[in-house]
Amino acid sequence: MNYPVWQLDFSGGGLLIALIAILHVYISHFAIGGGLFLVLTEMKGYRENSQPILDYTRKHTKFFLLLTLVLGAITGVGIWFTIALIAPAATSILIHNFVFGWAIEWVFFLAEIVSILIYYQTFGRMERKSHLILGWLYFIFAWLSLFAINGIIGVMLTPGEWLNTGNFWDGIFNPTFWPALFFRTFLCLMLAGLYGFLTSTAIKEQELRHTMVRYCATWLLAPFILFLASAWWYAQSLPEGPKNWVLNIDPTLAPYLSFFMWGSPVLFLGGLLMVIRLPQTAKRALAVFLLLLGIAYMGSFEYIREGSRRPYTIYGHIYANSILAKDLDAVSQKGVLASAKWTSREITDDNRLAVGRQIYNIFCGSCHSIGGPIRDIKKLSAKYTSVYVMEGEISGQGKLIGCMPPFPGTLAERNALATFLVEGLQGKKQPEAAAQLSASPLEPLPFDPETSEYVLLAWNSLGMHCMTDADSYFSFLPPANDLHAQLIKRGPTPEVVTDGVTLTYRVEAGFEKPADKVDFWKHISSLYGASKPDNVGLSGNTLAGAMIPNPDSKAFVADKVPVVPYPAAGGYMPYPSFTIEARDKATNALLASTRMVGPVSTEMGCKNCHGGGWSREVAGISKGAAEDFLTVHDRFNKTTLLASAKDGKPLLCQSCHPDPVLNAAGNPKLLNLPAAIHGWHANFLTGRGAEACALCHPNSPTGNTLCLRGVHNDIGLDCTNCHGTLEDHALSLLLAEKKAGKAGADRLMKHLKPRMASGIDAIKPRTPWLNEPDCLTCHVNFSPPETVNAFNVWTKDGTALYRNRHDDSGSIHCAACHGSPHAIYPATNPYEKERDNFGPRQYQGNPYPLGANRNCKVCHTVDMDMDMHHPNSLGMMRNTRE
Amino acid sequence: MDPATLIPTPDTIPAPWWFFEGLLLLTFFAHLLFMNAMLGTALIGLVREMRAQPGDPPPCRDIATTLPYTIAFAVNFGVAPLLFLQVLYGHFIYTSSILMGVYWLSIIGLLILAYYSAYLYKMATGLPPAVRKRTLGTSLVLLLTIAFLFVNNITLMQTPHVWPVYFNRPDGTFLNLADPTLLSRYLHFVVASVATGGLFLAILAFFRQKKGDPGAAKRLTAGMQWFTYATVVQIGTGIPFLFSMPENVHTLFVGGALPHTVFFLASLITTFFCLYYGYKEKVWPATFAMAATIFLMVLVRDLARQAYLAKYFHPSDLEVIPQMSPLFLFLVILVIGVAVVLYMLRLAARVPEEVR
Repeated sequence: MNYPVWQLDFSGGGLLIALIAILHVYISHFAIGGGLFLVLTEMKGYRENSQPILDYTRKHTKFFLLLTLVLGAITGVGIWFTIALIAPAATSILIHNFVFGWAIEWVFFLAEIVSILIYYQTFGRMERKSHLILGWLYFIFAWLSLFAINGIIGVMLTPGEWLNTGNFWDGIFNPTFWPALFFRTFLCLMLAGLYGFLTSTAIKEQELRHTMVRYCATWLLAPFILFLASAWWYAQSLPEGPKNWVLNIDPTLAPYLSFFMWGSPVLFLGGLLMVIRLPQTAKRALAVFLLLLGIAYMGSFEYIREGSRRPYTIYGHIYANSILAKDLDAVSQKGVLASAKWTSREITDDNRLAVGRQIYNIFCGSCHSIGGPIRDIKKLSAKYTSVYVMEGEISGQGKLIGCMPPFPGTLAERNALATFLVEGLQGKKQPEAAAQLSASPLEPLPFDPETSEYVLLAWNSLGMHCMTDADSYFSFLPPANDLHAQLIKRGPTPEVVTDGVTLTYRVEAGFEKPADKVDFWKHISSLYGASKPDNVGLSGNTLAGAMIPNPDSKAFVADKVPVVPYPAAGGYMPYPSFTIEARDKATNALLASTRMVGPVSTEMGCKNCHGGGWSREVAGISKGAAEDFLTVHDRFNKTTLLASAKDGKPLLCQSCHPDPVLNAAGNPKLLNLPAAIHGWHANFLTGRGAEACALCHPNSPTGNTLCLRGVHNDIGLDCTNCHGTLEDHALSLLLAEKKAGKAGADRLMKHLKPRMASGIDAIKPRTPWLNEPDCLTCHVNFSPPETVNAFNVWTKDGTALYRNRHDDSGSIHCAACHGSPHAIYPATNPYEKERDNFGPRQYQGNPYPLGANRNCKVCHTVDMDMDMHHPNSLGMMRNTRE
Repeated sequence: MDPATLIPTPDTIPAPWWFFEGLLLLTFFAHLLFMNAMLGTALIGLVREMRAQPGDPPPCRDIATTLPYTIAFAVNFGVAPLLFLQVLYGHFIYTSSILMGVYWLSIIGLLILAYYSAYLYKMATGLPPAVRKRTLGTSLVLLLTIAFLFVNNITLMQTPHVWPVYFNRPDGTFLNLADPTLLSRYLHFVVASVATGGLFLAILAFFRQKKGDPGAAKRLTAGMQWFTYATVVQIGTGIPFLFSMPENVHTLFVGGALPHTVFFLASLITTFFCLYYGYKEKVWPATFAMAATIFLMVLVRDLARQAYLAKYFHPSDLEVIPQMSPLFLFLVILVIGVAVVLYMLRLAARVPEEVR
């Protein structure tokens, strides 16, 4: 914010500090342990009166000096240079608070340099006692310099009281100071042995070589248990946040943790191997291997330590993006361009990409590279298909996973950053134009208002049934359409007929063999625990058959008809038609026939954020999208869904997540599926309108389904008018789960703010699929609406849903006359305008609800003057289109 | 664009600014002594190597043995002023470092190579002249490059009006080559090193002469000659250096302000004594004169920096939130540390000479 950012692409994300720092600590810790090694080995030489041991010690001192004084010391300065270049704000804080810690360390360095130079120069010439004093002085000062710097490294991870007091001593003697000091000291001793292997395996004289190699092995092996114990102590001393992060949550640290765990026994065994007699070449090779293993081993520890601090540079004080923790909210309000010194002041059309790059540099560059080895942002952002969804990912960061800070910029800045990532880096262009959709009109069926005896009304339960066409990976909605019909005998007092008739359904040609098109039947056992022949749905129904009468609801139902939107000739058609026929049971005479749409879509937009494209050009969840989604789920929930799928055993989401739509009990402790899926994704899509719904649901204006197609859509309403915005929608579900005592709700709710209610307490909790918007919230007393906001008033249960309700007479389903939900008459089907309006067109020659404009004759054969079905049913159509 | 808007906001300091200022000047002075000795002896050494005839004994035993030490202490005493510089001027030096980040960070690699080359040179004493020239030459070229990069950064840190170049060049590849003082500043520091290097060799020769080394007298004379001639040239680099600074800065030293002019004039006087004692080959008086000159020049340099930045910042602007106990501990440890170092040097002095 304060400083310019050194724009590093390949080397970004912390690569420079990782390389220089790991090299430095590997040598510097040796510089400490090795110091003790020198003086103790010299003492051993005197004690055993062994000139060869003394000669070895002198040679080892030369090696020691050349390595530590040059490479060791200068890389130490290198750390200083690097941190000031890539994290100047945090470095400034450390320097200004702990300057005397560094000044004290400097005095120790001075004494170290003088002592080791003299120690080497006078080896064998200085009187023994004095020479040993020099050796001891070197080690003492070396260890003291570790003491000093250990405090400063520790305060970055566990600042403890320093956060409140700013007191130097609170900072130095922070919660991990002592465990880290012990940990590092034991490591110093082990490294003395490890490096010692290099020089001791070079000794020409065999006996001496064996002796000294074994001696070095003691240095490596003896401290091991204490080293591991102090490692455990170190981990335990971490406060909850970092400890939980390292040990449980962060999937990117897991491999390093594994390496450290596995590296320990390998290193130990390597040390043991050095003890046994082996040819010199083998031992030399082993010595080199162990030394290389050692740097990887220590490097993995340092990587874990640094990684456990995410998203901070000084935990709880300053983020890696240089924003002080206390300033985060202020910066989010003002925006980064107004808060930083080294940026443009405003965003225009011309500079959007350039400003996006500046914002990237400040907010992202400290942890991400571009095209480099560390968290390459090009790879990570490749799956996002548009600026809109990239913005979603950005707005969700830091809310659910703690490794990133929340995005602290304005919406315009978020847009600039997303534009830089999607258009600048990925070179993606803006979204496609609307699809050209068409279908031939359905063949009409006869009806004579004068002579026909029956009216047959048919509709679909939901108006759009989605199915997950990703069965080899997972499923949460099977092919399972519900077709409903009511047969009405016409007359002055019409009768809804359920006895003495059989109703049948038959899908249009080309859709009879869904098993040829989807993998559902290959995995039906693994997913649904069921066994059904191809083309037979979960209820036993196929694509043609009988509808079952329900005397209570006075309707016929064919449930879970397994229609899929893929005709035999190819392509995608989400609105296949069904022909319904009513026949006399005894004579089999055809009483009435009509057609309806059995809407089914596989245009689930997971790929918009999860990448991978469509599996079938315009619809279908692809392998790429499915694998990405399962990978993310596995990462953050510690599941093994991807492995299961790859093993040929894909799982049903509702095998864990309860869900009323499938009557699934799941794991009762987990959030139900709608709460989980909306709750999670809402965190990424706050502040949006209905276009957010269309990222997943098949209603994208450039898509091939456009499922919201009834009269409400025509007059300009969208999903949010009834269901609320995504965060409101999610909160209503999560609140119910929270009330039910489920642990997972709070975390998802934490960053969601209601937009269509005055506060969280004003939102009414609801059970999905059963507590839904009620038409009468807007259409009070069935009148023209005063408001267009039906959010937060729910049906009391499933029986009160529009699709299950009847008129005031209790005979006719609301949907029989008014059409399927989401396709309320007059509907406009995106493929062929009147496709959804077949019934009204057949029976009254217009697309409106049955009996509209006082056309009671449709069923009653005569005019009526009482609004018996519901108040205002004798009103005239307001939303006409012809 | 007003460069003042770019200057980062500094953090608070835990003790009065003049305390850090004093430490900065003292440690930088020590750094200069070692750094000059290092660079100067490397340069003189290469000249000697180039002049050496085939069959001559290796000309630079004194340099070869001391170069790794002067490097070690130049670096160690460089770290200290870098620390205090960051405390007082961190918001300037970090910014300028970032602007030239690639070059600044490359110093680490260059220094490691230069340092190892110096050790190679030390170990190459018995090897052919070509090898010796290559190792020493490598070390020297690298050190000269490092010096150039340092000088670059120091000029950049005190000229915020140049900083907007970042907007065209955010990748750390900017060198402040258009700065009018850059070349003369660089030459002034390099030539100073030659002078100090020569004096350093004369001091080494002085001690060897006392031990009866026959070649020492010649080397003492040679060292003093380097010292004297380099000091003359130094005046020649110093004048353009001073007058290439902005008018509001350089006029301070030639009558514009009292302390500035006093220090500058005093340094001219001590320079005169350097020349006098150099010519007379009086090693210790020359050493005191040179030390005084360098110290006065450090003060002049610091005052010049303050003048450059006067309209933006002065260290007294920094907010002090005192925490005195760490300071006291540092002072105690410093005293103990220096005492131990002196003790160790005494132990070393008592050791009989290594037989060559």
